[in-house]
Amino acid sequence: MSGMTVDLNRVGAKGALAEEAEGKWGMTIDMDVCTGCQACVAACAMENNLSFVGEEDAGYGRTQHWIRIERFWDGEFPNVKTNFQPMLCQQCGHAPCEPVCPVFATPHSNAEQLNLQVYNRCVGTRYCANNCPYQVRSFNWRDYHIEPNLGNERDVDGAVKIVFPLHNQFNPDVTVRRRGIMEKCTFCIQRIHKAQDKAKAEGREVEDGEFTTACAQACPANAIVFGRIDHEESLVSQLAHQDRGVKHLEELNTLPRITYLKEG
Amino acid sequence: MAVTSKYFPGAEKPHEAHHEEEDDPRQYLMYDPKPRGEMNAMVMESMHATSWKFWLVLGILVFLVVTCFFYAWGYMIAEGLGVAGVMRPSYWGIFLVNTVFWIGISHAGTFISAILRVFKAEFRRPFTRAAELMTTFGLIQAGASIFMHLGRVWLAYWLFPLPNARQLWPNFHSPLMWDLLAITTYVLGSTMYLFLPLIPDLAMARDRSTGWRKIFYRVLALGFRGTEGEWRHLQTAMNFFAFAIIPVMFSVHTIVSWDFAMAMRPGWSSTVFGPYFVLGALHSGMGAVAVVLFIMRTTMKHMDYFIRKEHFDALGKLMLIVTFAYSYFFFNDYIVQWYGGDKWTDTLLHWLEEGPMAWMFYQLLLFNIILPPLLLWNKKIRETPWLLALIGLMINVGMYWERYLIIPVMLTINRMPFTWKLYEPRIEIFLTIGTFSMFLLFYMIASRLIPLVPVWEVQEGQMTHTLRKVGKAHVPTVSEFE
Amino acid sequence: MADTTLLAVFEDIDPAAEAIEKLHEMGVTDDNINVISGVPIAHRMLGRPHPHTNVSRLSLGGAIVGFAFGAFLNYGTPYLYNVPVGGQYITPIPPGMILLFEMTMLFALLATFLGVFLDSYFPNYRPMEYVGEVSDGKIAVFFKVPEGDQKKFTDAIGKLGAESVKQAEAQQL
Repeated sequence: MSGMTVDLNRVGAKGALAEEAEGKWGMTIDMDVCTGCQACVAACAMENNLSFVGEEDAGYGRTQHWIRIERFWDGEFPNVKTNFQPMLCQQCGHAPCEPVCPVFATPHSNAEQLNLQVYNRCVGTRYCANNCPYQVRSFNWRDYHIEPNLGNERDVDGAVKIVFPLHNQFNPDVTVRRRGIMEKCTFCIQRIHKAQDKAKAEGREVEDGEFTTACAQACPANAIVFGRIDHEESLVSQLAHQDRGVKHLEELNTLPRITYLKEG
Repeated sequence: MAVTSKYFPGAEKPHEAHHEEEDDPRQYLMYDPKPRGEMNAMVMESMHATSWKFWLVLGILVFLVVTCFFYAWGYMIAEGLGVAGVMRPSYWGIFLVNTVFWIGISHAGTFISAILRVFKAEFRRPFTRAAELMTTFGLIQAGASIFMHLGRVWLAYWLFPLPNARQLWPNFHSPLMWDLLAITTYVLGSTMYLFLPLIPDLAMARDRSTGWRKIFYRVLALGFRGTEGEWRHLQTAMNFFAFAIIPVMFSVHTIVSWDFAMAMRPGWSSTVFGPYFVLGALHSGMGAVAVVLFIMRTTMKHMDYFIRKEHFDALGKLMLIVTFAYSYFFFNDYIVQWYGGDKWTDTLLHWLEEGPMAWMFYQLLLFNIILPPLLLWNKKIRETPWLLALIGLMINVGMYWERYLIIPVMLTINRMPFTWKLYEPRIEIFLTIGTFSMFLLFYMIASRLIPLVPVWEVQEGQMTHTLRKVGKAHVPTVSEFE
Repeated sequence: MADTTLLAVFEDIDPAAEAIEKLHEMGVTDDNINVISGVPIAHRMLGRPHPHTNVSRLSLGGAIVGFAFGAFLNYGTPYLYNVPVGGQYITPIPPGMILLFEMTMLFALLATFLGVFLDSYFPNYRPMEYVGEVSDGKIAVFFKVPEGDQKKFTDAIGKLGAESVKQAEAQQL
């Protein structure tokens, strides 16, 4: 074996390059400071026009959250501790969801190193969601944003009409998804594009910290940090390379872009 | 030994008179020939004879198809998949259970008509067509179930490799694409394979019918007369189909299994899934053939001449062999998963044996692995049509549970314990009733329109089988004409 | 020489085979004899030439076309609109095998089916020479004889056990 050398840059599934595995945009989530307040969940829903599915469907496992706080109880009562684990699309470098889509509705962006979801291409086979080890994809089971049961009855000029107050705060930069298609966290790609457009107009590259995702913006404890993982000096990059940094389900070689900072 | 005494009547115990009678070779269809004209008349009459019971059942099925298939599906398309029970984590539910189940049923037809034709198993002759019809109609239901499963079924044509302005073709990395192409091949192949041997029988029916039936058969018989050339082209084609459709059949269910096995999931990611699914398909398919033959024999006129004890006996033996093969693969899959001790797989296995769906798992063991060999070893049981049909039904219930366990129940357990939740079927139940009704409806209509028994093949078989006198016994002999 | 077509109906293969032999002796060539039966009868039982068929050639042709089509789907179409997925190659070889196999089989089966239609001139709804007894298992032998010799042939074939020998008529099937 002495004559054989292994190029460590090439170790990885299907000949992937390890430097590529870092990606472009990255995120760190500090489990030590996460309080499980769900502000990120709410901010994400506002930013990305997520549907409100109603009590019954939410209870049945059809919540439309691109980020969720997984709460685990540790220990037996009364010595019990809660652990919170925010879970969102890991923007895998080797995403298991991508190759299984028969219509290329979830391709990989080489430029941004992100998993894309093309809403108007999706036919709803739901294979991607099955194959996602993180279970972070959410499906539009109904037309929730126009579901009559979820609106309010209002008297408009003498006639009873169903109105949806949330329609008034839709983000114009994000599509409202109809029934039968899959969706997932995009790393707020509309914000990435906005920043890129601005940077391009000013003839420069996007700087780290110029913008952030809705969840990171809303986090009161600054547990979520987003930025250029490919810049060594960026905050997210420095946090990610701490000893505390772990990748979720790393053994599956999905090359996630999100680093969890374990409780230290 | 039953086997030797069957071929040498009276050889073992010549003093027992009843034995002599029991082993009369004329109990076998091939040694009990009738003139072709008489057989034609019997088959024609079986198509014409309908009682009020037939129309009653037909009416109920039409009602069920309209309400449970078309209305329920239309409602689901209009409302979205929310009316079904699929959710996170069971993104796939009964629709795909039905797909796998129907594709499994369809395997019986090909197995009987192709593999038994290739190996010249003579008992196949009277019921090849009945089995092939199951293939075609089962695949229609499988296809319908796949489309039901889609979130936006009105865009299903995007799955087909069609030229388009953007030059964006389907993703051939996806197991679903392989599946689509394999099932398309199988549907077209098996339908053509059903039609080719049917042409001479349609010509026969054309010569003996009047009115609208005459027009129907004339159009479908394509002007077949039975010249030497026509027979030769037909036989060359049928021979090619018999060989070519076997690998297609194996590939179809293997690829269906890959839809699961290719996924990165505990329980699914298994290399033995291909053959395990193929054997599972044959297991349920053989059972379904037994049920169909029993229904044909009891409800249709003259079918007791064509479908006899010997056929149930032979089918029972096939079922027995398939049960053993299926058990082998079942054990192979589960023991490897169990021994591996992977955390998630381990959780999954505990979920199967102790979870709320454990009853399904134990029924599967009982119906598919334990009971069939215990019952089918007995010739008396194999030769009793209603008992064999009951065993067939039992196997199919078990196999349905097996697919149910593999899809929604195994999907419950994934690597994110926070999302674990048990699937509850909702509108899927109606749609399942709808697909079953449609299958039966198609079968009932077909039984009145196309000769279910391939008369020319039966006659061809009877011509090659003769009883030769050797010493004092009549020995069955088979000659090869081809 | 104006020919007329005679039709002899036989119950069994043996007399039919003898009749065909007799026809050969009387100078009727195989091209002018046509046998129609309700079950396939091997050509050598009747002493007839081996009927030619193009079906297997067409199957092979279909298989080649299907292989090419499968290759186009798997190794051609991805380059028309390049979409990277899951770190896999644009045109991976193992899934390509599946496509090649399925398309080869599909086109081979379609070509075989089409071959039967082409070789047998199906569908054909024109009136043809036919007798309904054929589907009852009888064997009908059609043969062309010179106009004046009808009687001679009718007698000769009748003696060999034909159920009936008569002028063949084209009928709407």
